[in-house]
Amino acid sequence: MTNAQLEIQIILSLVAVACALPGVFLVLRKMALISDAISHSILPGIVLGFFITQDLASPLLIVMATLTGVLTVVLVEYIQKTGLVKEDTAIGLVFPSMFSIGVILIARNAGDVHLDVDAVLLGEVAFAPFDRWMYNGIDMGPKSLWMIGTILTVSISLLILFFKELKVATFDAGLAASLGFTPIGIHYGLMTVSSVTTVGAFDAIGAILVVAFMIVPAASIYLLTNNLKKMLVYSALLGVFASIVGYWIAHFLDASIAGTIATVLGLLFFMVYLFAPDKGYISQWYKIKQQKTEVAMLVFMLHIANHEEEQERNVNHLQEHINWTSQLARKVLRLANQNNMIVIKNDVVSLTPKGAEFTNKAVSYISDNKNAELEGIKQNFFLFRG
Amino acid sequence: MEQKIAIAIDDLTVAYNYKPVLWDIDLQIPEGVLMAIVGPNGAGKSTLLKAILDIIKPLAGSVTVYGKPYKKQRDLVAYVPQKGSVDWDFPTTALDVVMMGTYGSLGWIKRPGQTQKKQALEALEKVGMLPFQNRQISQLSGGQQQRIFLARALVQNASIYFMDEPFQGVDATTEKAIIQILKELRKAGKTVIVVHHDLQTVPEYFDWVTFLNVKKIATGPVAQIFNDDNLTKTYGINYKTSITEGKL
Repeated sequence: MTNAQLEIQIILSLVAVACALPGVFLVLRKMALISDAISHSILPGIVLGFFITQDLASPLLIVMATLTGVLTVVLVEYIQKTGLVKEDTAIGLVFPSMFSIGVILIARNAGDVHLDVDAVLLGEVAFAPFDRWMYNGIDMGPKSLWMIGTILTVSISLLILFFKELKVATFDAGLAASLGFTPIGIHYGLMTVSSVTTVGAFDAIGAILVVAFMIVPAASIYLLTNNLKKMLVYSALLGVFASIVGYWIAHFLDASIAGTIATVLGLLFFMVYLFAPDKGYISQWYKIKQQKTEVAMLVFMLHIANHEEEQERNVNHLQEHINWTSQLARKVLRLANQNNMIVIKNDVVSLTPKGAEFTNKAVSYISDNKNAELEGIKQNFFLFRG
Repeated sequence: MEQKIAIAIDDLTVAYNYKPVLWDIDLQIPEGVLMAIVGPNGAGKSTLLKAILDIIKPLAGSVTVYGKPYKKQRDLVAYVPQKGSVDWDFPTTALDVVMMGTYGSLGWIKRPGQTQKKQALEALEKVGMLPFQNRQISQLSGGQQQRIFLARALVQNASIYFMDEPFQGVDATTEKAIIQILKELRKAGKTVIVVHHDLQTVPEYFDWVTFLNVKKIATGPVAQIFNDDNLTKTYGINYKTSITEGKL
């Protein structure tokens, strides 16, 4: 691995962490789309800053772009407050206008300099190692490494200092306000950090990947943990992992680095969505299936308990009495038998004492709406589940 | 007998988008009462709490807590918002939510430590939720979530408690447990102010009541002013049939 390759991976990893941290709070505040808006509408700020300084890594450029980022949030909230349109529409109104102002400015004035729309949207981290910071003739490393490193240091410090305030303002803005923690101030603080991070990251990875880095890790880890601190740490790690894997895929396919990383992130989310132990698709599907079988079993037991007459309890007629497919009927019968809830004598089904007790308890808990107790008896009675 | 005034509201008007939600409210809440605020939907009950707590800015008027503006008296006040106002899928535990009640006394930047954790555990114990301390909050029932919110207010160890519809969507056991704790708070000399919906339980639960419908209709001891006259003024002519039909 060459030095340049190492530097690119370090830059990507730092960007991933810097984006994931504010991203977690954006996702929890249901403001994910704001990152998309910011990432596009900072363009006019970047262009204006660039005209003044002629340097893509200048601090003034960050200041200008951050101001346009925060301005976007203010505009979106202002339009939303008129009550004429909803938030998503307000976002859709603001950022394309801001972005297109930037596009026009570039087309009119910056035709022959290194600043074009492609670079803004997709970035080109592969060139980052060539733009170096020389101090007194000493090579200090790539400029974008310094920039994103500084932004990351500041945002981690802010996060550590104001973690408690961010948490309470995100979870319960009303309580935060009554305790004196000015949720509006915290909101704009977060928006400022998001804007600064977007500006710092866009040069290396482009506007689209900034959105992916902010939203995808947070959304994935949200399905895996119930702990805010873990959500922050794991989101950052997932971003780093996707960066390094994506980088090498791009290397071997000779493709856009930003493109492969965003794809890897998308695939990672899909995997989490499928396989997350509690909230994932497969686990949910299994739970619902199990619940259906358990309800069917209860209906079946109730039917048996309610009917003295043998003809109603005959194995061969059960299916038509309860009006089930033979597949479901057979499954329930097998389960009830395995769990010793029923005995079958001469093709007639009867409840065992255990089955009768289960049915009685279940009926009383259902009519008293005691869900916790209902779950409890399931644990006690079922040895085998469908 | 001269009672100390906990909350004094003078000429308070609150408007959302130029439409007055609360109109020229004058209200004095004596120390040590357990007070219900009742009124129909849209009467401005929650808004009144939020205006007192400086969460929304009034158009006119002033609120004082023991004679001083709320900003200087935050330590004296605890607030329990409506349960539905927060996202219960937030990645945190019951204990952590209760700990948030200690953040006010900590102030900015300082982080909660063992003292705060001990206070939170005591509050959880009081509301009977100690066994659930490490439970993710989305896995609690509606009643348990409300108990967590109450514990969070208890941890603030305030003099005045504001609660916005604490009995909404909770089971009968939790409702009894909550009112028990509120009565204990009053016995300890605290002032408790509750936005309440169920008119039938007002005489049983509360000793003080305020009727509100954009304007203040009446305020005073339940025994003296909780009557047909004030109910009609607040809810309109058909409040009685509405009660029997279960609409209120």
